[in-house]
Amino acid sequence: MLRPQVWKKLRARAPVIGLAALLLAGCQTVPSTLPVAEPRPAAACSWPLGEQAPRALLGDAVAALEAEGFLIRHTDLALGLVSAERTRILPGYGDRYDRWDRRGVFGGIGIGGGRGGVSSGVMIGFGGVGSLTRDATQLERVSLLAGEGEVRVSRDIQVIDWRGELVEARSASTTEFCQRLRGAIEAGGRP
Amino acid sequence: MSRWLAVSLLALLLAGCATSPAREPPRELDFAYAPEATLRASAQVLMANGYVVRHADAELGRLEAVFSRWPGYRVRVEVSGEGERSRVSLTASRGGRPLPPQTLDRLLVEMQEQLGMWR
Repeated sequence: MLRPQVWKKLRARAPVIGLAALLLAGCQTVPSTLPVAEPRPAAACSWPLGEQAPRALLGDAVAALEAEGFLIRHTDLALGLVSAERTRILPGYGDRYDRWDRRGVFGGIGIGGGRGGVSSGVMIGFGGVGSLTRDATQLERVSLLAGEGEVRVSRDIQVIDWRGELVEARSASTTEFCQRLRGAIEAGGRP
Repeated sequence: MSRWLAVSLLALLLAGCATSPAREPPRELDFAYAPEATLRASAQVLMANGYVVRHADAELGRLEAVFSRWPGYRVRVEVSGEGERSRVSLTASRGGRPLPPQTLDRLLVEMQEQLGMWR
């Protein structure tokens, strides 16, 4: 059993303990439902299949995606699915986040200069090698489903920085991309 | 004595953050549709919500989709059954930690609606 003094001490600390519990509660929260893309995928990312057989469209879709520089990761003809991805190097992406002024050496140089001549001048002088190795990788993932009289496309984009950390993740089923892909597929997969 | 108590209390509180991901049971539902149609409906609904299907196989009755929002979401669909009966089993994770089964309820409702539209 606890002695009365201990209880008194504990009661005095109750607000602190309560606060800590509140803070730590953040660790445990989970969303109540699965997230959905906001904004929703563009209307152009779904179009009628028409008279064409799903299989013929999938062949054109594979050719069109490959012509756009995608690597086909997976296909399933029974479902009518193609899954592909494309990576691209984003040169100097790290500079956008590793601002010079944050390091405290160059004061306000980075603030007004943006990515203009001022900051690149500094880079050559002091950290040129660093910026060369700070390219980020953009990963674009696409899936296409054809069947039941409809074609549907979804796409997302992730940016992984030079440390291997995920710095950007967004859903990107945009009108621009879907229209371009649809055009390429309808042209028989040739750009 | 009181120090021990404080330490053990803190340890208990922190345990909430540090627990290894508990296994969540899958969310399951029976559908009066063929397994392949059910799997296609799951792909259709997930993609309409902005998910990208990374892998799907009608013969295996399996589909895996991802959603690009930090810390990364993943949904796995498993379909079994034959003829016009199928059983769907859904699991999802957020940043590698399993999500509770009730988060998948809306997906099941949307699948049911999609299958109704195709019939």
